[in-house]
Amino acid sequence: MNDFLKFFDKITFMILILLIATGAMLIFSAVQGGDNNYFIKHLIKIAISLLLFSAVFMIKTETIFRWSFALYIMLIVILILQLLTGKIISGTKSWIKMGVLSIQVSEFIKIPLALILSRYLVKIPILNWRTFVRVIAMVIVPFVLIALQPDMGTAFILVSFILFSILLRKIKISIVIISLFVFAAGSYGMWNYMFKPYQKERIISFANPSKYSKSSGYQIIQSRIAFGSGGLTGKGYMKGSQSRYKFLPTRHTDFIASVLGEEFGFLGTSFLLLLYLILFYRQFNFRVSSGEEFYFIYLFSGLILFQFIVNILMVTGLFPVLGIPLPFVSYGGSSMLAFMIGEGIIFKMKVENFLQQK
Amino acid sequence: MFIEQRQIDSNEERRITFTSNILITLIFVFLFFSFWNLQVLKKDHYSLLSTQNILKEVEIKAPRGIITDRNGKILAENRLSFNLFIIRENVTNLEESVKSASELTELSVDIIRERIRDFRNYPGFYKILLKRDLDFKKVIFIESRSDIYPEFTIDQEPARRYPYGSSASHVLGHMAELSPDKFEVMKKEGYALGDMAGVSGVEKNYESELRGVRGRRMVIRDNIGQIKKTLNVEEPEIGESLVLTIDIKLQEFIEELYGDYNGATGVVDLSTGGLVAMVSKPNFDPGFFSSSFTNKEWLALINDDKKPLHNKFIQGLYSPGSTFKIVMAIAGLNEEIITARTSTTCYGSRKIYNRVFHCWNRRGHGSVNLIEAIQHSCNIYFYQLGKKTDIDIISDYGVLLGLGKRTLIDLPNENKGLLPSRKWKLENLGEKWYPGETISVAIGGGMITSTPGQLLSMISFVALRGKRPQIHLIKEIRRGGDKLKEFTPVFEKVNIREEIFETVIEGLYKAVNEEGTGRGAMVEGLEICGKTGTQLILSLENPDYKKLVKLRKFTPHSWFVSFAPRNNPRYASVIFVENGGDAGRIAAPIAGKIYRRLFESE
Repeated sequence: MNDFLKFFDKITFMILILLIATGAMLIFSAVQGGDNNYFIKHLIKIAISLLLFSAVFMIKTETIFRWSFALYIMLIVILILQLLTGKIISGTKSWIKMGVLSIQVSEFIKIPLALILSRYLVKIPILNWRTFVRVIAMVIVPFVLIALQPDMGTAFILVSFILFSILLRKIKISIVIISLFVFAAGSYGMWNYMFKPYQKERIISFANPSKYSKSSGYQIIQSRIAFGSGGLTGKGYMKGSQSRYKFLPTRHTDFIASVLGEEFGFLGTSFLLLLYLILFYRQFNFRVSSGEEFYFIYLFSGLILFQFIVNILMVTGLFPVLGIPLPFVSYGGSSMLAFMIGEGIIFKMKVENFLQQK
Repeated sequence: MFIEQRQIDSNEERRITFTSNILITLIFVFLFFSFWNLQVLKKDHYSLLSTQNILKEVEIKAPRGIITDRNGKILAENRLSFNLFIIRENVTNLEESVKSASELTELSVDIIRERIRDFRNYPGFYKILLKRDLDFKKVIFIESRSDIYPEFTIDQEPARRYPYGSSASHVLGHMAELSPDKFEVMKKEGYALGDMAGVSGVEKNYESELRGVRGRRMVIRDNIGQIKKTLNVEEPEIGESLVLTIDIKLQEFIEELYGDYNGATGVVDLSTGGLVAMVSKPNFDPGFFSSSFTNKEWLALINDDKKPLHNKFIQGLYSPGSTFKIVMAIAGLNEEIITARTSTTCYGSRKIYNRVFHCWNRRGHGSVNLIEAIQHSCNIYFYQLGKKTDIDIISDYGVLLGLGKRTLIDLPNENKGLLPSRKWKLENLGEKWYPGETISVAIGGGMITSTPGQLLSMISFVALRGKRPQIHLIKEIRRGGDKLKEFTPVFEKVNIREEIFETVIEGLYKAVNEEGTGRGAMVEGLEICGKTGTQLILSLENPDYKKLVKLRKFTPHSWFVSFAPRNNPRYASVIFVENGGDAGRIAAPIAGKIYRRLFESE
């Protein structure tokens, strides 16, 4: 136990706790004067997340890897069943109701997917056509199922696995170029056959927000106003007019960073950037002896990095509004749970690594 | 030991870590500078936008000044009206908004569209009024669904209420919403789009006094325009109140005397010139204009054949008929063309300039002097007088007595009437005056027209023996309890010998009290002096006269101008009954009843 406490990555854990606390504080401000249940629910989900984070420590990393493929298949089956039978909640079929808390299964597929990918990447010497297609296949199955729900945001985040696989293993440049071409063709097909009109509008309006200032471009404009009017030091906690008078859209979920920017200004956003920077730096620079663990840490942290970037670009108007929460900060229990379980695995790996070296 | 356990090439690991460190450094430097740009460099730009989002100056309409009668009875006051507006910049789907507006207001889709189109050149945040005086249930319905209807807002504002309904409608006048055209003109005076302003009556004439000063409120609004907080209020100031010279009870009494007849009446208090009653029939309901009327109702009102919005007292132009004989008598006496004793024999008709002119009394009046001619309204006497008097002299005396010019009563859109002269005919018809035309003018016919108001001015002049009071409707202007302004009586004096007036008044007295044409006005104990006028619509020469005259529209108009008592007169009045028939039986009795009521109450 002493060893455990000694090797537990306390600094990174502090960073996570600070991110979560910042999120909770901002959610409280974002829902003021409205439904206070959101805040309570969020606190409950934080508690459950911390519980699961600790629970992961009871399981050996080996066991986790061994069961990962079965878990992956199980979640894929659930996703298929959901598509066939699921009720539509806020426009998608991605929710499973469990008492008062709803669970978004699509968020959890990230963990087994990262696990099986890292196991696979360790086994192969290089990404050639055969192995690269397999990597893509592992990602594309949940991607399509989630996109069909439809939840483009969550599906889109899975793309980070492919990008980081390329970073982690050597690949022929020709494969990358041809894949990009196929991707372009695929996107064209998706645009015409899979995107809902509201999603298309969001993407178009991103290019010209003022023209769509009453619909989805409106969200981008209002978010930029929130950031911009925050200035250097912000308008003060609970005092952001953009948030308080509801000009900010989905301010407790996707646009939570805009609340931070408005109420705490550039200093607030810099603080957030700093927390993330330390988190990523510490996760990416940890020297772990096992190859599959090394890949898992990279793939999972890479996913968080990717989601973080997309969310920040989205709220500052540099990326279309896709409905992607800010990791650890936004309201949204399933995302929080999945990330904390994943972090739990990473923290466990680090501790075990130290113990082995000792 | 460390090396052995590795399943991954350490060069490879170093490459990956190095690449990702470079990657995150670049990403964070980029994000840091985008936030610096967005939050620090563009702060002023976005702060302004943020303030514009929430801050809004809302106008508070001022309640209009109250109007009371001379005894303090309230004739016009304010109530709350809930008005529905549409704000175009909050509309997402115009067709749907128009449809819901039509359902909410029960106005047709076309009317809503037209209203919105009327204001298409105005900025999107302008509130376009869709309907005034919304039903309270609808108000609650819309207010509770402001998230569904972000394009609609409801404002409370003061609206006019007229406790006496349509009574005294032409005195009070009515209000109307400024049209976009009118707004362009009145915007300099601080009017806002959708404001109401007086368009007739004292509501129009004293618009600037009644208006008040609008207030302002600085508010914070949320994304759907709901007011969340008020920062600063500048209260509106109620308009000044008017005390009229009208006695509303007398006004109602006279309006009832008319029954289903139309016409106009004015009763003036000779000590001041203030009108105690001013009637124009038919009345209209001034409250209609601040209610939620439909387009159809409005068109029905303005296209009504009886022209209820027309104020006959100052706008109706009619031949004065035999009442004009008063002007002729004064002209004749003062120009020494005749004396009180000059007499003529009336045979019922007389040939003048080779044309036969008739007296209303076909059997003739026999030998009459001036006083008797007035008493019995003998046409032949005045034809004779007309033959001896130049048209320009008649015209001058007419003007002197108040005809052919505005009375300058404090009401808008007064008509001038017409008093023909040589010069007028040459300038307007390009012809010279024929002496034969003077004959008809002498009995108030021909081209001469006047308003009932002018005839009231004339008879007041006679009653006061050469002093014309300025007729008016406003007694006082007040703010709160303080008198701001009080009307001081104005009299115009004319130098005509008093005995001339006494002679004419002798005739007027006898007309009422000694079996003259005005005997229908006689009231025991009141020395009423008056002159009838029965103005034919058809010529007596018309072969079908007897048959046609029975139709209401060919029945002659009835006039009665009078004052009482004979010495130190207190009141004068004019009674005009459109198609009333014999003035002695229709107009004169109305005057009698009015005087009886006026003197009884004292």
